[in-house]
This record gives sequence, structure tokens and C-alpha cells, in this order.
Amino acid sequence: MNSKTRQHNEPILSARNIVNRFGKQEVHDRISLEVMPGEIMGIVGGSGSGKTVLLRTLTGLHRPNDGEVLLNGKPVGSIGQAERASLIGVLFQQGALFSSLSVAQNIMLPMREYTDLPVEEQERIAAMKLELAGLSPDSGVKFPSELSGGMVKRAALARALALDPRVLFLDEPTSDLDPVTASGIDALIAQLNRDLGITVIIVTHDLTTLFSVCHRLAVLIDRKITVATLDKLMRSGHPWIHEFLHGPRAHGAMSARRQSHGNG
Amino acid sequence: MSASRSALTGTQVSSKQAGTFSPTFAVSGEGDRLTVDGVLNIHTLAEARDALRHWLKQRKTAHARRTLDLGNLSGLDTPGALLLCGLQDKGIELTGIRSEHKTLLDLVCGLERKPLPKTESVARWRQLIVQVGRGTDSAWHDALDIITFVGRAASAASHAMIHPETLRLSSISRQVTETGINALPIVGLLAVMISIVIGYQGVVQMRSYGGEDFTINLVAVSVLREMGVLITAIMVAGRSGSAFTAEIGVMKAREEIDALKVMGLEPMEMLVVPRLIALVITLPLLTFFSDIMGLLGGAVISQSLLHVAPLQYVDRVHQAIDSSDLFVGLIKAPVFAFFIAVIGCMHGLRVRGSAESVGRETTRAVVKAIFLVIVLDAFFSILFENLDL
Ligand SMILES: Nc1ncnc2c1ncn2[C@@H]1O[C@H](COP(=O)(O)OP(=O)(O)OP(=O)(O)O)[C@@H](O)[C@H]1O
Ligand SMILES: [Mg+2]
Repeated sequence: MNSKTRQHNEPILSARNIVNRFGKQEVHDRISLEVMPGEIMGIVGGSGSGKTVLLRTLTGLHRPNDGEVLLNGKPVGSIGQAERASLIGVLFQQGALFSSLSVAQNIMLPMREYTDLPVEEQERIAAMKLELAGLSPDSGVKFPSELSGGMVKRAALARALALDPRVLFLDEPTSDLDPVTASGIDALIAQLNRDLGITVIIVTHDLTTLFSVCHRLAVLIDRKITVATLDKLMRSGHPWIHEFLHGPRAHGAMSARRQSHGNG
Repeated sequence: MSASRSALTGTQVSSKQAGTFSPTFAVSGEGDRLTVDGVLNIHTLAEARDALRHWLKQRKTAHARRTLDLGNLSGLDTPGALLLCGLQDKGIELTGIRSEHKTLLDLVCGLERKPLPKTESVARWRQLIVQVGRGTDSAWHDALDIITFVGRAASAASHAMIHPETLRLSSISRQVTETGINALPIVGLLAVMISIVIGYQGVVQMRSYGGEDFTINLVAVSVLREMGVLITAIMVAGRSGSAFTAEIGVMKAREEIDALKVMGLEPMEMLVVPRLIALVITLPLLTFFSDIMGLLGGAVISQSLLHVAPLQYVDRVHQAIDSSDLFVGLIKAPVFAFFIAVIGCMHGLRVRGSAESVGRETTRAVVKAIFLVIVLDAFFSILFENLDL
């Protein structure tokens, strides 16, 4: 019982005093971020503000110059490979599907490495993951070069979900997509979060995604981070945040939020 | 143990800490009612399927009357849910579902759950026949492709010759540097080595006839007529042919070629012709350099094994060869260069989509270029024999 309460009060991911520098350029200056289990956190900021670098730091792909990242209570660097694979899933911006493997084989690769399930069982699971990500199992036999941009995103999402990770990192999941497909991805993220209890961290410029699915936002400005709920940020006096959330593009996205909140 | 077990109870996903401990799964009860215990996730899935299959086979009652109680199930993930949904489809009733598992089960059971399409597997011996067929077919298409591409490249190159203002001189000079000047050290070294190898064999074999002095003739003639140009062409095919394929292939994979076309720039003129012309210029020069280095290697051998002084060596070489030997070697070089460049560029333009295809086409280009160089060399030998050169 107390394990349950502990889990709900402690962040699943916490970054403390992260400093990132490239040569003389300082990208992050002692920033801290905590993400609770079951939360959807959006990371936003202008171009070059260090969103991608932050995501790479949180997933342990980039070592910060200072500070530490704890995932599930342990430093990311010290987590074993198998554990890491079942703990986090990453959707890279370009998909990063393995081009020599079919889509289904891409999804089965982590299963093949970390479980000893028979192939038929793996295929059944891969087909289910494809459907979960909104693709027909028929596209499982295709190769990444034969997919459209939106299908690449979905296939990469299916692969990120292969081992039922607890934390899902998404780098621009809806960029380059048509609005219908993008809304489909938004709905999918919300559903995975609700039904599978997955914690989601999204880097995005897509205001609709931010307004309709994110619980809290982390805004990167001037090497610092501001974390708050959308409603608080809407009232923020900071010029960039104000421009970002009240600019001409924000109005349309705002109505999407009203709609999704009205339905949900 | 109990501490780690308590960590698994709770949310459905918390049980998935692969590697740190293995979660357990057990079924209990008998007859038509069964209770599951523990965790049903990707790591216990095989175990669970076995246990349940046993139960399903065991008794003859209709599946519809059987129930599976999930009240004690402490962890469930999507593969586990998939298994349970399959049981439900067979008419087995799932009871005592915990609320935290309900949404997950609803999500997975709500999917269509179509299988992956079957890829046809063919018997081994038929596969062999299919492969031979495919190979022949693709060889035939390859041959056609090469012929058409050679035609297009030749026409583009001659067009550029007739209209020299369309020649891209800066591009050509960059390629000359890259394919020619930068290749000098390796080609020179290789030529020296090859003539040393030939020289050694010659001395050893001809000593038994007392004709070891003829080694100088052997080295000089074979370097000038064959070895110089052949070694250089093979080296250039491996070095520059592959570079052509990779450079053009990456541009193709990243849609840069299409971008050129949209701007009204012909890839043939922009990319292929400069490389072709550059290689046709550099390969004869490299061959000449390699001939000189080969003769130098011969001098080293004669000095050390035959005790022939350098000046004497020059004299002997002069007697052994005539200008046609040099000519026969050099005339082949531009022809080889043309084919190496054409094949490199052709395979570059054949790249489709992925980065993997760049690697595959590069390998093919090198293999094909070297193969063609040797085949052409054989033709030249027959031709020159008939011409008495
Ligand atoms: N490997 C690197 N070496 C040097 N500088 C880097 C490196 N990676 C990132 N940077 C710099 O760090 C800064 C932040 O880069 P980052 O890619 O995180 O931006 P971003 O917020 O993701 O921008 P965008 O929205 O355009 O993708 C940039 O100024 C970039 O030039
Ligand atoms: Mg970025």
C-alpha cells in the first residue's frame, strides 16, 4: 500500500540543476524539472533555446556539464540496459526507424533482445502495437522508406511503445503532419496516458498539442526554465510567453482546447 | 522478496522492471474456475500461455462455461491484455477485473487485432531457382541500364565538349585533385610493390634456365603493357568510383537531385559530366606515373638481386621496350576511366530512399567497375594481339 502512495507523490523523472554548455555558449543554466507519474509535460521554447538538448539530457543520451537526472529514483546513467528499455521509450524527430528492417521487425527488435517469446507471439504483439499507434497491421511488412511522413511517426511511436515503457519522450510528434493526422496523434497521446498510465514528455511547437493534451508546460527562455500549468502561464507577464500564448496562432488552438475539455 | 513483491503491487506498469528481478505468474483452482496470481506481462507471457493452454485442453466442457478470476492479478501490460482478450474471444469469462486493469483491457480488446500479413515462405530448393531467376533478370536489366547510361553520359559529355561554356571547370578541377593528386602516393607505392613481386618471381623462375637477366625485360614489358594501367584502374575504381556513388547517392537519398531538377539544372551535366571528364584526364596521368614508379621498382630489384647498376638498367630497359608498349598501356586508361566513372555515377543515381541503399549501391558499383576493367583488359589483349602491337 505505501508503495502506491510513495509512487504518486514522488516524481518519476527529476532533473536537478542541469548545466549544459557547448564551448562558450551556455544553453542551460542550472535548470530543474520534476515530472510526476501519469503526467503529460510539454516542453516549449524558441528555436535554439535548447529543447532538444534538454530531451537528450533527460533520456541520458547527453551528459550534462553539471547536475543530475533521476529516472524512477535512480541516476539515468546507472540504469541497466534492459531496465532502461522497459522504462523509457523515445520517439525521435525523424523517426529513426531502422531502414534495413520492416516496420514489424523494428517493433519486434526490443522484444527479441529482452524476452524469449516465440516469434508468432512477438508478431501478434507487434500487430497490436501497430493498431494501438493507429496503423493497420498490413503496413507491418513495409520498410521505412516506403512509408509516408505521418506513417513514419506512427510506426516510430509503435516501436517506442514496444516494451510498454513508463515514460514516453516525444520530439515534435506532430510536426510535418496534416492537421487531421496531427489531431489523431494528439488523441492517441491522451489515450495512452489515460489508459496505460504512461507519463509523457513532449517537445513541440504545435500549440494545439500543448493546449489540448498537456497538463503542465516547461518554458525554456534565456537558459532558464519556467514550469507551470497552462492557465498560470496564460497570465504570465513575460513578453515571450505572452506572445507565444496570445499570438495570432494561439487563438485557433485555444478553441481546440475548449472543445477537447468540453468532451473530456 | 516480500519487499520487492510489494513494489509490484500497485499500478499495472510498475511490475516491469526487467533485469532487476523476475516477476512471477501462477494459476490456481480447478475445474471450470481458475484464479490467476502475480503478474501477467511480457516476461511471464510464455509461462502464462503454457499454463492456460494446458487448462483449455484438459477438460471437455464448452469454453463458454469457464471463468478466469483476475482479482489477484497484480500487474498487467498490453501483451498480457492481448492474451486475456484472446481468451475472452474464445468465450471464457473474465471475472473480478480490477479497476486499474479495466481501462487497459478495454483499450486492447477494442482493437481489431488483425494479424500481420503472412509473407509467403518458399521451399529451399525453389528459393534457389527463384534466386537464380531473379539474378539473371537483374543482370539483364543491369546490362540494359549500363548501355543506356553509357549512351546518355557520352552524349552529355560530347555536348559539353562542343559547348565548352557549359563545362564546370571548378567542379572538374576539384575532382581532378580528389581523384588524381590525392591518389598519387597510394598508386605509386602499389606500382613499386607490384614490380618487386614480378621481379622476384622472374629471378627465381628464370635462374634455372640461366636467363635471370631477362627479368628486366619481363618487369619492364609487363609493367608498361598491363600491370601499370590495371593496378591503377583497380585502385581508382575502389577509391573514386565508390566515392562517386556515395556522393551522388547521398544527394539522391536526401532529394537534392530532385531539387536540382526543379531548378532546371541537369544532374547529368552538373554531377556526371565533371566527374567523367576529370577521371578521363587523371587516369592516363596516374597510369603514366605508375609506369614510372613500376620501372623504379624494377631498378631496385635489379640492383639488389642481379647487381645491375641503375645506368645499366636504363640501357637494358631501353633495349627491351619500344614505344608501342607504353602506348598500349596508356591507350587503355581513358577507356577504363570512362567506364569507372559511368558505373559509379549510375549506381549513385540508382539509390532509393534509405541510407542503406547508398551502401548497397556503392558495393555494387565497385564490384562491377573492377569486373568490367578486367573484362575490357582481356578484350584489349586480344585486339592488340590481332593488330600485332
Ligand atoms: N552538439 C552540439 N554542439 C554545439 N552546439 C550545440 C550542439 N547541440 C546543440 N547545440 C546548440 O545548443 C543550442 C540549443 O540547441 P537545440 O537543438 O536544443 O535547440 P532547440 O530548442 O531544439 O531548437 P529547435 O526548436 O530549432 O529545434 C543551439 O544554439 C545549438 O546551436
Ligand atoms: Mg530541436
